[in-house]
Amino acid sequence: MGLKRFIIRRLVEIAVIFFVIMTLLFVLFRLAPGDPVSRMVDPSMTPEDARLLMASMGLDQPVWTQYLYYLKNAATGNLGVSFHYGEPVTHILMNRLPNTILLFTTSIIISALLGVFLGKIAAWKRGERTDTLMTIGALFCHTLFLPWLALIMIWFFAYWVGWFPITGMVSPEVWIDPDAGFMVKALDVLHHMALPLMTLVLIHFGSYLLVMRSSMLETLKDDYIITARAKGLDEKTIRDHHAAPNAALPVVTSVGLSLAFSINGGALTETVFTWPGLGRELVFSVSHADYPLAQASFLLIAIVVLLANLVVDVLYAYLDPRIRY
Amino acid sequence: MSDKNISSPTRGNTSCHAADRHRSHWVERFLDGWSVYRKNTIGRIGLTLLGLFALMALVSFIPQWVSPIYHPMTGVDPLISHSTGPSMRHWLGTDYIGRDIFSQLLAGARIAFMVGISSALISILFGTSIGMVAGYAGRRTDLVLMRLADMIMVMPTLLVVLILSALFGQLNIWVIVLVIALFRWPGVARVIRSQTLSLRHRPFIEAARVSGASHLRIIFRHILPNVMPLALLYMTFRVTSAIIIEAALAFLGFGDPGTVSWGMMLQWVWKTGHMFQAPYWLLPPGICISLITMAFYMTGRAMDDVLDPRLRKEETQA
Repeated sequence: MGLKRFIIRRLVEIAVIFFVIMTLLFVLFRLAPGDPVSRMVDPSMTPEDARLLMASMGLDQPVWTQYLYYLKNAATGNLGVSFHYGEPVTHILMNRLPNTILLFTTSIIISALLGVFLGKIAAWKRGERTDTLMTIGALFCHTLFLPWLALIMIWFFAYWVGWFPITGMVSPEVWIDPDAGFMVKALDVLHHMALPLMTLVLIHFGSYLLVMRSSMLETLKDDYIITARAKGLDEKTIRDHHAAPNAALPVVTSVGLSLAFSINGGALTETVFTWPGLGRELVFSVSHADYPLAQASFLLIAIVVLLANLVVDVLYAYLDPRIRY
Repeated sequence: MSDKNISSPTRGNTSCHAADRHRSHWVERFLDGWSVYRKNTIGRIGLTLLGLFALMALVSFIPQWVSPIYHPMTGVDPLISHSTGPSMRHWLGTDYIGRDIFSQLLAGARIAFMVGISSALISILFGTSIGMVAGYAGRRTDLVLMRLADMIMVMPTLLVVLILSALFGQLNIWVIVLVIALFRWPGVARVIRSQTLSLRHRPFIEAARVSGASHLRIIFRHILPNVMPLALLYMTFRVTSAIIIEAALAFLGFGDPGTVSWGMMLQWVWKTGHMFQAPYWLLPPGICISLITMAFYMTGRAMDDVLDPRLRKEETQA
């Protein structure tokens, strides 16, 4: 069972990386100007209260003890209380996590599929006008500045044409209505998701298209394609069943490599569209100096990226039978 | 990647330069590459755009010299107190406190080049040295360095800078440049490492070692010149990502408040709620960021064609 061992090894690696990130965060939070208390303590508090608050958070302990407490708390999912919401950050973030995963995975899957589909056609029509148009279009979309594209999308589709809601994830009136069934609610979310999704797909499909195109061009030179031709198979079968599946593998790799880039884009998209996800929570907490929330959202985003990397690797092994771990 | 034609002074149409022998090897190589680059449409578009942006950066000093009301940061038109559309006095209109958008746009080009190029230079410096050392030393050094690279590679740079600005307050533009550079070297290091690995056992390296050259000398005298073109290629891509990250950071409101960058301009449009009323203000900075990114990207792709003869052949066949 090679795959199982591979997954376990990767999980251990992820745990190590995560541990390093946590330690770095701890060090950074200590290095930051001003001690943690002065950032938390209200000026109206008496020195006695401040001391009590410090003691209650273990800040009067030596740094090493604090570090161990921090690790223990993080392991048990206790990452502190948000200054702004006054709720445990784990609770807030667990509410946000599904929203981010929904937007993130849907956008990556759609843009990868679109990139593979269009890249296949571009490579097949190499040198023709379709190819040139597609390559330039992909380059153009890929280099658009994401937040700006998001603003333009809102301006055009939500404000000018008025097809989609401007921001948010749900319309309150639909969710308060007791008669609204699951379908109605799902459609409402989809309606809100359309614009952020379109923005992300437009930005991301281009690079996948370019990867697919060049990989397909390489594949078309392979012997088994010549064999397929010699057997007299029709062109469409050769393209879709012989060349494309193999050529699509590098796209999977490139999805894995661009995950960090995608999560940056995700955070920007969530912020502009006020999509209640992790990225937006991080941006929000940073601008409101909500340290526990900022720290926890960063950690959670790191976990999402690391696990998504693992999923991509496993998917690669599944798609490519030559690879056995 | 492995069979990339890296050092071949006799490649292509060198015969036409053969007459002037005093011309150095480097000039020769450059002219050689240039003759290939020139034929690449994408590369030509990219270079033209870059030239235009460089021109913008150069003339960005003129408006404030004409009249202080055109100063991108502090110049406020005394006659205007809100955002107005394009006019003869203000070619692209003014922002919400009456500053000239056109001169802001010009100043933005300067910041973009500054951020992009300095950050790319630093990360290339790091990436190339780490990549060469990892590839040359091998074994444990290689393992440790590459694991470090992997770890940094999965970190979303924008969010890292965000966390830092949460902790240390508003970051200075040079700090932002440095942080971006420190988080963008792993990709370069990986490529340079694999290139170094393929060079390590070439006869000329073995010869240098046998004749008693030190490790440092081998790395910097013999390996560096051979990985240099590749490092330069990656520099164009790093410029792109640095510009984007700085712009995104400024857009979110965490840029250096003392600079006028395109991201900053977008942040002002967005935060002051002018995005629906003032297309003359919303469009230019976004178009500029997108175009400069595209220009560097296109230049990079064209350079890739120059460096990789396989690709070039394919392009001419088409």
